[in-house]
Amino acid sequence: MPKIIIDGQEIECRPGIPVLQAALEAGMDIPHYCYHPGLKIVASCRLCLMEMKMPHPKTKEMAWAPKLFPSCQTPAKDGMEVRFDSDAVRANVRHVMEYYLLNHPLDCPVCDKAGECYLQDYTEDHGSAASRMVDEKQKNPKKDIGPQTLLYSDRCVLCSRCVRFCDEISGTSELRVINRGSRGEIDVFPGRPLDNALQGNVVELCPVGALLDKEFLFRQRVWTLKTTKSISPVDSRGQSIYIDYNEEGIHRIRPRFNEKVNEWWISDEARFGWKHVHRDDRLNQPRVRGSDGLVPQRWEELPEFLRKRLADAAKQVSDSVAVVLSPMMSCEEAWLLAKAVRDVAPQAVLFHGFVPVVGEDRTFPKGFVVKAEKCPNRRGIETICEHLGGNTANWGDFLGMASSGKIKAAYVVGGYPNEWLTSEAVAAIGQVEFLVVQDLFPTALTEHAAVEIPSVSWTEREGMFMNCDGLLQEFERALNPLEGTKADGQFFFELAGNVGLFRAKKVREEMAAALPVFADVFIPQELPEHAH
Amino acid sequence: MAFERILMKHVDVPNSTSLSVYKSDGGYEGAAKALQMKAEQVVELVKEANVRGRGGAGFPAGLKWSFLPAERDVTYLCVNADESEPPTFCNRVLMETDPHMLLEGILIAGYATRTTVAYIYMRGEFIEQFHIMQKAIDEAYEAGYLGKNILGSGYDLDCYIHRGAGAYICGEETGLIESLEGKRGWPRIKPPFPAVEGAFRKPTVVNNVETLACLPHIITRGVEWWQSLGPEGSFGPKMYCVSGPVNKPGCYEGPMGISVRDLIYADEFGGGMRDGKKVKAVLPGGFSMGVLRGDLFPKAPDGTVDPAQDYDELDARLDFDDVRRYGLLGLGTAAAVVVAEDTDIRDVLANVARFFAMESCGQCTQCREGSSWMYKMAQRIRGGAGRIADLDVLVEVTQNMGMMPGESICGLSDGAAWPIRTIVQKFRKEFEQHISAQAPDAAAEWIRRVNPAAYGLPIAQGRAEVMPGGTFYRPDSEPDTVEA
Repeated sequence: MPKIIIDGQEIECRPGIPVLQAALEAGMDIPHYCYHPGLKIVASCRLCLMEMKMPHPKTKEMAWAPKLFPSCQTPAKDGMEVRFDSDAVRANVRHVMEYYLLNHPLDCPVCDKAGECYLQDYTEDHGSAASRMVDEKQKNPKKDIGPQTLLYSDRCVLCSRCVRFCDEISGTSELRVINRGSRGEIDVFPGRPLDNALQGNVVELCPVGALLDKEFLFRQRVWTLKTTKSISPVDSRGQSIYIDYNEEGIHRIRPRFNEKVNEWWISDEARFGWKHVHRDDRLNQPRVRGSDGLVPQRWEELPEFLRKRLADAAKQVSDSVAVVLSPMMSCEEAWLLAKAVRDVAPQAVLFHGFVPVVGEDRTFPKGFVVKAEKCPNRRGIETICEHLGGNTANWGDFLGMASSGKIKAAYVVGGYPNEWLTSEAVAAIGQVEFLVVQDLFPTALTEHAAVEIPSVSWTEREGMFMNCDGLLQEFERALNPLEGTKADGQFFFELAGNVGLFRAKKVREEMAAALPVFADVFIPQELPEHAH
Repeated sequence: MAFERILMKHVDVPNSTSLSVYKSDGGYEGAAKALQMKAEQVVELVKEANVRGRGGAGFPAGLKWSFLPAERDVTYLCVNADESEPPTFCNRVLMETDPHMLLEGILIAGYATRTTVAYIYMRGEFIEQFHIMQKAIDEAYEAGYLGKNILGSGYDLDCYIHRGAGAYICGEETGLIESLEGKRGWPRIKPPFPAVEGAFRKPTVVNNVETLACLPHIITRGVEWWQSLGPEGSFGPKMYCVSGPVNKPGCYEGPMGISVRDLIYADEFGGGMRDGKKVKAVLPGGFSMGVLRGDLFPKAPDGTVDPAQDYDELDARLDFDDVRRYGLLGLGTAAAVVVAEDTDIRDVLANVARFFAMESCGQCTQCREGSSWMYKMAQRIRGGAGRIADLDVLVEVTQNMGMMPGESICGLSDGAAWPIRTIVQKFRKEFEQHISAQAPDAAAEWIRRVNPAAYGLPIAQGRAEVMPGGTFYRPDSEPDTVEA
């Protein structure tokens, strides 16, 4: 571990990282724009310059070199001494911050980035209140560069992060810098809009308000939003995300750093994969089939009712009860449901739910993968079924057994954001006499269901998913469950005969005691406070 | 003793671009001799002669070659023919009249550096020169001076011309390499230097056209001849350009270290000022090296002229070191722009500032924003709406850009800062006279017209340090403002 001295303070840092990264990791607030640990270093914003001690050319004594060095480009070497806290460095930062605002329109009141903009932050810390430039400003245009993204090139600081992202991470190279000097702008080629599976990342990557998401445009001021750490359920890698929401609901999803899965980026699927949460046709009350079809039922009466009916079915033929555990469920929910049903019907068969697959895995140049498997917890369900043992089988077997009439009672959990049932599947499942369906939206199974229970989306629940590589990750609840619904975990908790509040952590402890693999929850590193 | 023209010896010879004419006068003898030697010997010879690069910075060519890693499979030679410094056209004359001299130089340099492919990166505007060079390359291939097994030595060299698209920045060596690779000509961060990782990530040498054209003569005539020309540290013949209101503007050859006065007034060079005008200023190294005062430079602090002790700066000798004594950045391209006494210095400032504002590549913030800000100020000063404060801001901006204070990737911003700073500092009195001759509220009126945001704000007329606002505000001194 190299030790370097920054501003007189000895810091131990990871080998091979630039001085800037070492300083950021030590908690220092060093202004920077072009540097991003996930991208190639260009050292062009010249904001992170530092002073460095070097041997004097004549006396060979260590002395402060008369020029400044970019700290993002200088690797931290053992024993080196640098400083940011000096007049020359401060003067440079002050000048650069003045330069950035020369042609900036100063339109923070209508800018979406206001509140999380590093031009604002650094100007407040290091800039001056008034510009000394009194001449006409260069006015660069606002451009529509892609189906999801707008570019306000007058706010751009030309850090070229977005250009490097498209070159290196997505490998699609849509963005380029055009023109020279202060007339330089980011642009796309004619007829080649910014449209790739990762393009939304350029919005967070932009340290200022130049690149904006059309979805989020003018929706909210960012300081009104609350943030929750979550895991995206759109594909089987379980990308780490932040959910930004307030009392009106979710407003956007941002990437959360995760060194083992998605690093700094998320796919657009994950970014825009929350729309179904606010669909109008969400199921919002449990219903039980009576003589006039499905009629609303009170939540309080459901657990007892279901336990009785499932136990009855199990009495007829011991293995005629089926539970279909959806890969959209968290590990805790699957555990509780399986336990609850096995409690009344010990021979109940546990089935792995339907696994949606779209296309093929896509790997991007630097290793970002978008999985074809579009569910977060297949591995978790499989692990639980394996542990609980007894009769377990997969989705195909379930359809086969259902259509042959072997299954008398089934508890089918869905929870998929999209339409997921084929007509054959519906026909097969329709054979089941006592069918409990728990799903987000009305499906073709509704007309066959004896009981229909509303499920809630992952943003309204808490728990953990095991991704396709066996990595166990937890997610937190952002929203309260939709009015009239109950969080799945809470309902299964009650179904299992418990009283009180469902706490994922408690269930996790119980699971970990039974199966050590569930004790090992991966929590990604926190990025340094001042890194961006 | 009259100076014997070396680099320009074929300027007046008819059909000088053909191989036969070049060979009739000892052409390719240097290359033949070099190919008999060992490559290391050639490098040592060039080092011993102390050939300093003619591109502007004056870096010793032999030393540059010795930075190449010893273990290397491929080496590239890039010939910097992107001659874009404003009044400079030496390389153009060389390539127009003696393309084979350049090719011979390439052959020698290529042999010395074990290069297998040489690229001539040629300025996009050189169209005729491109055809001349291409014809010469074809001839050289046919005669066996390029291609496989050159002159029976077993050495192979291919040579290609790559044409630029008209960007000043592509004359910077790493900008050139990026452009050669087909990318945007943005200079690279160093290290790694091109000698270690250059074109196509291979060791690369970048040399100027004129530097390479000197090599055949060093080989044939020897180090002693080379060092007999010019002062210590800056040996050899040099091509000078002189433009502006002189009697004979053009490209001339002389030994290193002639004075600026000679370049303007000597009969074999500029031949004196047109209509007997006086010199006001000279930009002796292209634009980017700074300005020399051609009129009397008073030593007394109050500005009174005493002809007995005051001096002008035309005695600066054009070599790599002497010009620095006059506050210049370096020799540059040794292309002098002469400014006559009846030219407004504000026009000179605006012209220089415009060039660098247009040509800054836009990578480093200081250069990108600083150069365009300086141009805006220069335009306003020229338009009769200057402020004393602008002069201070101009100097402050120039002091905060450039590779020397470490604030940019390449030297373009030094080249942008230096002339503007020296113009403002050396001619400050004249700027101040122009500004005091303006209408009192000319600046405020101009500013209100172009920048609506300035409405209602006080517009500072004083020195930069006392302008209101932020960290630049010193509360102990009252800002001198007029209400806009």
